Amino acid sequence: MQATQQAVIEFRNVVKRFGAVAAVDHVTFSVGAGETVSLLGPSGCGKTTTLRLVSGFEEPDEGAIEIAGESMVGKRPYERNVGLLFQHYALFPHMTVAENVAYGLKHRCWPKAEIGDRVREMLRLVRLQGFENRRPGQMSGGQQQRVALARVLATKPKLVLLDEPLSALDAKLREELGLELKQILTAVGSTTIVVTHDQDEAMSLADRIIVMNRGRIEQQGTPDEIYMQPRTAFVASFIGRTNWFHGKIVEAAGDGFSRFATDSGTALAIRNSSPVDGKKWSVCIRPERVTVTRSQDGSGKPGDNQLHGDVVDVVNMGAEFHYIVESPEGRIMVVEPNRAGARVQKGERVTLHFRAEDCVVLARDGV
Amino acid sequence: MSGRLVDNVLRLVGLVAIGTIICFLLTPIVVTAIMAFDSRGYLGPLPPPSLSLRWFQRFFSDDYFLRGLGVSAQLALLSVTISVCVGVATAFAVERMSFAGKEALISLFLSPLVVPPVVTGFALLLFLSHLGIIDGFTRLLCGHIIITAPYTIRATLTGLAGIDRSLTEAALILGATERKAFWDVTFPLARTSIVSGAIFAFAVSMDDVAVSIMLTDAKTYTLPVALISSMRANFDLSIAAASVMLMTLTAILILILEKSVSLNRVIGQGVFRS
Amino acid sequence: MKPGRGSLLLLSPAGAVFLGFFFLPMAGLFIESFRIYVPGSIGSKADAPFTLANYGELLTPSFAGFFFETLRISLLASLVGLLFAFPLAYWITRSLAARWQPIVIGLFVTLMFLSVLVRTYALELTFGAVGPLRPLLVEIGISPNSRGYIETLVIAGLLHYIVPMATLTLLGTIQNVDPRLFDAAQALGAPRWKAHLGVTLPLCMRGLLAAFLFAFTFSISAFVIPMILGKGRVLFISNLIYTRFSEIANYPSGAAISIVLFVVAIAIVYGMSHLVNKRWKT
Repeated sequence: MQATQQAVIEFRNVVKRFGAVAAVDHVTFSVGAGETVSLLGPSGCGKTTTLRLVSGFEEPDEGAIEIAGESMVGKRPYERNVGLLFQHYALFPHMTVAENVAYGLKHRCWPKAEIGDRVREMLRLVRLQGFENRRPGQMSGGQQQRVALARVLATKPKLVLLDEPLSALDAKLREELGLELKQILTAVGSTTIVVTHDQDEAMSLADRIIVMNRGRIEQQGTPDEIYMQPRTAFVASFIGRTNWFHGKIVEAAGDGFSRFATDSGTALAIRNSSPVDGKKWSVCIRPERVTVTRSQDGSGKPGDNQLHGDVVDVVNMGAEFHYIVESPEGRIMVVEPNRAGARVQKGERVTLHFRAEDCVVLARDGV
Repeated sequence: MSGRLVDNVLRLVGLVAIGTIICFLLTPIVVTAIMAFDSRGYLGPLPPPSLSLRWFQRFFSDDYFLRGLGVSAQLALLSVTISVCVGVATAFAVERMSFAGKEALISLFLSPLVVPPVVTGFALLLFLSHLGIIDGFTRLLCGHIIITAPYTIRATLTGLAGIDRSLTEAALILGATERKAFWDVTFPLARTSIVSGAIFAFAVSMDDVAVSIMLTDAKTYTLPVALISSMRANFDLSIAAASVMLMTLTAILILILEKSVSLNRVIGQGVFRS
Repeated sequence: MKPGRGSLLLLSPAGAVFLGFFFLPMAGLFIESFRIYVPGSIGSKADAPFTLANYGELLTPSFAGFFFETLRISLLASLVGLLFAFPLAYWITRSLAARWQPIVIGLFVTLMFLSVLVRTYALELTFGAVGPLRPLLVEIGISPNSRGYIETLVIAGLLHYIVPMATLTLLGTIQNVDPRLFDAAQALGAPRWKAHLGVTLPLCMRGLLAAFLFAFTFSISAFVIPMILGKGRVLFISNLIYTRFSEIANYPSGAAISIVLFVVAIAIVYGMSHLVNKRWKT
């Protein structure tokens, strides 16, 4: 059976200005049914404004917003079937849990007989059965969040918006609740947009990530694409940790490989077929794609890039080790899982190995 | 270690001062409460030899006081009702606005709090006389409305300011129109502040002397005005009995306030700051 | 968002009330203060000419004396009140066990709510000339009818309102000061009293000034307290106005005094809070 692949929400060339500043600057994206997409970026990048445009608390200056094919221009928040989970839950303090969850149902004219059952069903879904008559003030943060989730999902909204859902929780709770959140959203089959500044939150919850910066979209893709194939320096730096080399492409080595010479003179092999035209480039490599061996242990596989250096710090993070190596190219960070303790010590002379395929080549923005 | 010595001395002095001031604040109240039950017919030294309710009987059988009590009660209820309506409407209107003059407008509405009450009463008297309004009760009502309104406005404004914006937005996104969101969320949450404002206003009206004394006439007077005249005429203990009654009334008001709004909110909201 | 029609409609009752019961009367008072008063009549005649004589009268030593006395006693009461209120507020916030805090605070709130008449009467009864403490006072050698004693009693009456009010105001101020700053000062070697002087006190300046302002304006506007406790020997400006009004129906003079008191009160509140905001930005 061919289902019509109509996007649940389409955002087309939307612009929103506050004064002279464009908080959202020609942003285009869409979310398909059942997908979870994350809007990820630092504060001020426009993700919150985008959220408010989708939910109806702001109107766009230009562009189109369509939910399930219907244009949302001029539609008030209560006229859109969109659910919003607020960052600090926004539970009505003067109402019980049941009244909170039933609020949306009442105002969207569900028949009275069904409201009670639906409330119970929702509380069961978030594992808060029996909490009907509690007040939000008597509950913990994690419990409040679950009530807020139940309230959002009760009306079967076409689109669910989560505003920094895990930021108000401590690390342990974040992990647990994150998992539970994902399970519930999948079970319900909801189409979700998660707005966050926390990349762990984005990577763990979303099928697709939209990285935003200064009102524009830097890159859209799966978590793996974003991580392993960043297309701009901003995305490469914002997501995870990177090691940088700056320089020029000096010659084509055939087979799609090229030779890259850094400003400090080191030669690297990279997989790139750009012309040799003196343009400035930056090459980045993720710390866990670099391996480290003791210099006297002989060289690694042929075709590897190699750098020599001295270990200046060994940081034991418990589950992994971070080695900071001082090389002709500056400080290089290497991340290794902790399988059998630290393999190198501070002060040792080591060789760093990384493959040309793992290097990401980006145009150098600015100097 | 002279630093430590000074510390200890000052600490002792501080504690003594605190003890003294608390005693000073409480003693007159306690003495009055005791003396109100004094069985003697005159003012004698403490402690009273025996207790009786004679002063209370005296107070309640005195027409002069009872009339004042009746007028005070009516005035308080009427003026507070009007003040609450005016105050709530004003606070809601001002809260929603966000233009440059908002602060100035609020100051304007709170200005009667800063003006000496005698001046307010005097001005009102002259104005009402010019308009030909000479009825005592009407004049008193006008005075009581203007002195209670700032309290209801301030209390409601503070209550509204304390309501989280996202709660209204949550109601909107769940399907409520602006009007429904107001009645479902804003009003219930502001209700406690409105009630506390009303209670303050009630206490202010019952207690007022300076404004009332300017607006009163021979036929219509409030209880505080009656008490003050009585105090200047002959200083006897029926006033002590009246005081005990007023203290009880205050205690009841505080209890109501505590039950409907916790006292922490009352203080924390800067109601005691101008 | 400029005020819409709905907002203006909501504001109209308040507008009418404030205009009719406050602003127009005050304007009327202002005008009245410039009219000539003919002794023996009630108030000024409808078409009486304007004069500055009423204000001129206030510059004479006897009148000016009343003003200065009111200001002097008010200043004294306010300062003493703050002197007591600050340690009290500090003690409640920092030293008192959490169990007792609501009770003590409740006590202060009740005191504030208590009718000023009741409190003033209580003071007069307890400490006054015909009270149970009279024999004790005479023994110590204090004459309860002396001017000094009466003035002290008036100050005590003012304190009975100022201390609870200032304490409650300062509670919030002290709560906003991070106690760790005080600890840091001690860790750096300052004894407690120096730490308070250098750290706690400056941080509370705004609250202290606000409390002082409130106490001072309350004191200069006081009516009941000096009337009962002052026994006619200590007169505040409010009492003077009342006398002008009730005993001699010299409305213009009463109006002039009222306007001066009004201007002084407004000037202090708005002028000083402006100063506070400028100098001690938090």
